[in-house]
Amino acid sequence: MSYGLALIYGVLKIINLANAGFLMLGAYVTWWLFTSFNIHPLLAPLAIVPVFFVVGWGLERVLVRRVLHAEPIISLLLLFGVWLVVQSLAYVIWTGDSRSIETAFIEATVNLGGIQLALPRIYVFAMGILVLVALQLFLTRTYLGRAIRATAQDRDAARLVGVDVDRVMGIAFGIGIALAGLGGSLLSLLFSFTPDFGHALSLKSFCIVVLGGLDSIVGVAFGSIVLSLAEAFGVRYMPASLQNLISFVVLVVVLVALPKGIVGTLRAMRRG
Amino acid sequence: MASRAIAAAVVAAAAVAFPFAAPHAEYAIDVLFLIFLYGAMATAWNYIGGFAGQVSFGHAAFLGIGAYTTMIMIQSNISLWIAVPVSALLPGLYSLLIGIPAFRLRGPYFSIATIGIGEATRLIALNLNSLTGGASGLTLASAPPKVVLYFAALALCAASIAIAAWIKSSRFGYALAAVRQDPDAAETLGVATTVTKTQALFLSACVLGVAGSVYALYYQFISPDSVFGFSTAISFVIMPIIGGIGTISGPLIGAVVYTFVREQLTALLANFSNADLLAFGLLLIAIVVFEPRGILGIVDMLRRRMRAKPPDAVADG
Repeated sequence: MSYGLALIYGVLKIINLANAGFLMLGAYVTWWLFTSFNIHPLLAPLAIVPVFFVVGWGLERVLVRRVLHAEPIISLLLLFGVWLVVQSLAYVIWTGDSRSIETAFIEATVNLGGIQLALPRIYVFAMGILVLVALQLFLTRTYLGRAIRATAQDRDAARLVGVDVDRVMGIAFGIGIALAGLGGSLLSLLFSFTPDFGHALSLKSFCIVVLGGLDSIVGVAFGSIVLSLAEAFGVRYMPASLQNLISFVVLVVVLVALPKGIVGTLRAMRRG
Repeated sequence: MASRAIAAAVVAAAAVAFPFAAPHAEYAIDVLFLIFLYGAMATAWNYIGGFAGQVSFGHAAFLGIGAYTTMIMIQSNISLWIAVPVSALLPGLYSLLIGIPAFRLRGPYFSIATIGIGEATRLIALNLNSLTGGASGLTLASAPPKVVLYFAALALCAASIAIAAWIKSSRFGYALAAVRQDPDAAETLGVATTVTKTQALFLSACVLGVAGSVYALYYQFISPDSVFGFSTAISFVIMPIIGGIGTISGPLIGAVVYTFVREQLTALLANFSNADLLAFGLLLIAIVVFEPRGILGIVDMLRRRMRAKPPDAVADG
């Protein structure tokens, strides 16, 4: 999900608050496909990714494009409105009850050299790496990926060298939303969720992005590792109900100590 | 300008006279109380969110700290005359504490960080059982009569709007507008952007603290989910946008619309939780896409059209 946030931010220069909504929606769609049609949760991303891509693309076409040249807070507020709508719709449709997906797969564990590991966690971790690698390859090796990066760096210059900027922005937004949906779908394997699911997670992914630096995909991956470790260790010393506080504390520490993010600071050190 | 002052005076006089004219209209007084309280808070949110363009989703933290401060101090038998000023000051100090890291972030980043600030504050309140009573909240045995609190809310609303009017016409207000339009250019022209933003946040937090105090006394019950809740924080964002973000009277107009729509919707759609947020979300999207200046923007547009009409009429005739 953080990748999606970073991508949308980079290309459109707007922060997508609606991401949290689509993350939650991804989890619910996975659950709904499973309970109503008995589709295995692992297959759900096959449906979610293309559908969410189209939704994101449409959203950019119909709404976001209109406010792209206004002050940045306008697009922030627009996407905030989208988030509100998505979240309240979920409340109306699925109520506020907590849901979780239960299959044999969810309960399965594997024994790795004497350590019991939950299979879904390994699967989600592997998918995260896979998506990271795929995204990195896409952004560096394909024409479209390069066009997205060019647009992210300088919209006008990209237009000058013949990039179809409008098309690229729609696609980037679509990919961002699709990644949010994929993230939600994967997370539904690990956690129970309510329509408020995305709220705490959006803060986490924002924290990750700030940690890693906003325009670096590797930085995002690095940030997520740091945050997960901080949370895992933090829980040993404080009540679990305060776990969500950790991402905030990390965020404050990073902002005060390393305003450029970890990768930015490393880069500056190498240069300096 | 004169006609506006007269309109404001008429509204204020009507608001003051209402409880005397209809002492038994309890529901109406309830609704009006909410409008004034929300109006005060939305106007205060606007100091930082509208004038300076730093949209905060964390203002419930200030309301909550004010409300809890009053509750706890009164339960310890401290006079209201001390409790209320302290309830204004503590959120102000808290705003300085969070302003230092948060204002390292610009615009949209600041906004997201405030979501975290609000959430973190709620979690702390929820877990400080000994002080805040945890999730079950705090109740108050006795409080001033509701009519007194009605006037307190009205006075707070008037004060909040007066501060807004002062900011807008002062050097401070111009500095905030410069920060909103272009922080780099503002810095170049000698505006200390971080200091300016922190001052606006401080003022805003103090007003919300007093509002929290009035809220706690009126309802005699507070819990982390009510005063620190995310939906409370959202309402401070929605109201100014409905009325007209960055204007003096817009947030109050938004508070009127917000309170009425919410009262009607919750009565109408009692079976659907969050139906009101769905409506406000759609409204928010519509306003941002079609008329980002809100109701005042629409009024302004209509007035311009009316003014443009007479020459046409002459041409027709």
